[in-house]
Amino acid sequence: MIEFFTAWWSYGFMRNAFIAILIITPLFGILGTMIVNNKMAFFSDALGHSALTGIALGVVMGVADTTLSMIIFAVIFALLLNYISSKASASRDTIISVFSSACIAVGLAILSKGGNFSKYSSLLVGDVLSISKKEIIYLILIFAATLIFWGVAFNKLNAVSLHRALAKSRGIRVKLIENIFAIFIALIVMLSIKWIGILIINALLILPAAASRNISVNMREYHLFSVIFSLFSGLLGLMISYFTNVATGPMIVIVAAIIYFATYVYGRRNA
Amino acid sequence: MKNKYVFVTVLLLVLLLTGAGLTQLYVKEETKQQDSEFTVVTSFYPMYIAAMNVIGDTPGVDLQNLSEPQTGCLHDYQLTPADMKLLSGADVFIVNGGGIESFLSDVAADYKNLSIVNACEGLNLLSEEDEGEEHAHGDAHEDAAEEHIHGDTEDTHEDGHNHGDVNAHAWMSIALYKQQVENILEGLCRIDPKHQDAYESNAKEYLAKLEDLEREQQSLKEELSGKHIVIFHEAYAYVAEDYDMEISYTMDLDEERQVSAGEVADVMGAIEKNDISVVLAEELYGKDMGDTVERETDAKVCYLDTLTRGEYEKDSYLDAMRQNMELLKEAFTE
Repeated sequence: MIEFFTAWWSYGFMRNAFIAILIITPLFGILGTMIVNNKMAFFSDALGHSALTGIALGVVMGVADTTLSMIIFAVIFALLLNYISSKASASRDTIISVFSSACIAVGLAILSKGGNFSKYSSLLVGDVLSISKKEIIYLILIFAATLIFWGVAFNKLNAVSLHRALAKSRGIRVKLIENIFAIFIALIVMLSIKWIGILIINALLILPAAASRNISVNMREYHLFSVIFSLFSGLLGLMISYFTNVATGPMIVIVAAIIYFATYVYGRRNA
Repeated sequence: MKNKYVFVTVLLLVLLLTGAGLTQLYVKEETKQQDSEFTVVTSFYPMYIAAMNVIGDTPGVDLQNLSEPQTGCLHDYQLTPADMKLLSGADVFIVNGGGIESFLSDVAADYKNLSIVNACEGLNLLSEEDEGEEHAHGDAHEDAAEEHIHGDTEDTHEDGHNHGDVNAHAWMSIALYKQQVENILEGLCRIDPKHQDAYESNAKEYLAKLEDLEREQQSLKEELSGKHIVIFHEAYAYVAEDYDMEISYTMDLDEERQVSAGEVADVMGAIEKNDISVVLAEELYGKDMGDTVERETDAKVCYLDTLTRGEYEKDSYLDAMRQNMELLKEAFTE
């Protein structure tokens, strides 16, 4: 019986998925805290949608590795979004919505040309088998970069999220910090979107942090619980999906959602 | 303060146990003992039925199908973890070839010891551009040079997505399906010579049944040959070949195909212009379009089985083909 439960380790794709989840879910947990604090949930969702256009542009321009075109496009998209929403008079969520739907439209139009969209439909729900060694190396790099960024700039980031104007008066370069943060979100979302899927990637970014916020009283707890919830739902989701033959991304999100509702109820009663 | 940590621990434990428990319940129902000495895995339904007839009840040979019976045409099918598990325990993987199994190159790279039998090998497949314009596949012996060219393009080590080049729905033609059965037989005998006699006698029996079927088809062919039709799935190009019918317009409707308004107008135009009386369509993906055609024009829509899903019965190919013949006969005599 034990053999049965450890058999998954002998499959290369499961090993890759396991390692990827070990790296990416703590990252989601950490970044999620700030995304939730800054009310950027919609922003990261739009970023996920931009993946479709990134891939479409890669296909049009004949780039061999569409991951690359996707990442470049997402970074440009994130910066542009930041820039425009700071300039324009309409509210931020309107701007994001315009960008996000325009991106989907362009992506769908290009990718469905000739009726071949089904080739890319795995992008919507994700495919755990698509994780390759190369992607894991990228993930490790981004993991290290994020930790460094967090170590150096967390206090500033937190100050910006608490009070933008006050932070500015204290000499913090608000725009720079915001842009770097947006780039990090873009990189992480793009590197994991192929196996989690556009439709649900945002849930993974938001749910653990939101659940953690329900029960935390300080930043330390907030981060700790967020990382624990994220890692736990990632691993449990992967295992359940392996044994029951359900898509991995949705399973992870289901676990994370259950945690969210449980903490919500607990938080309300102990508030 | 402390309560919170207890709560989190309890919550996660409960989730873990429920998850494990439910999974366990599910897995118990699913697990099948795979202790036979020789495991054959087929890529999808028509291959499974063909292999089923060749293998028959040969002892010690286990036949499994990759995708579930409802998956239908593989087009852009992606392997699930369960499929990967199945393949890692398999000795032979029987595929249709011709690019339908777009995941094949990954499989070949991941499982180097797995022998792959390509049922379309050496078959004279239609290409997608000029389908219907090629000569009929009356006899199984096409000239050898051409066979070689086609054999090369369907090499199993090709790069994934080339479903666009050849029309791989060869099983829709009885003549080609017979060759596929022969290819499967040959492949199995080569890899598992121990059961050669059993395979050969089973295949012979099945081929005889297919020949009967072909004879039935022949009488219908006389009625249908030369008729103009419109097809809504490229699989029917082979039906048209078998009956010598002329295809005036091909519209490939399948999984997740988005049709533009201009295309619909083109179809209607082609139907009017060529005075088409029968449209061949697939029930699942062509129904909406078929209804539109019936409403707007005088053409009759005939929903043929593409034989990509159904029961795992030995005779289901024969039955479905006979049913298709009935439908065709009905559609054209009305």
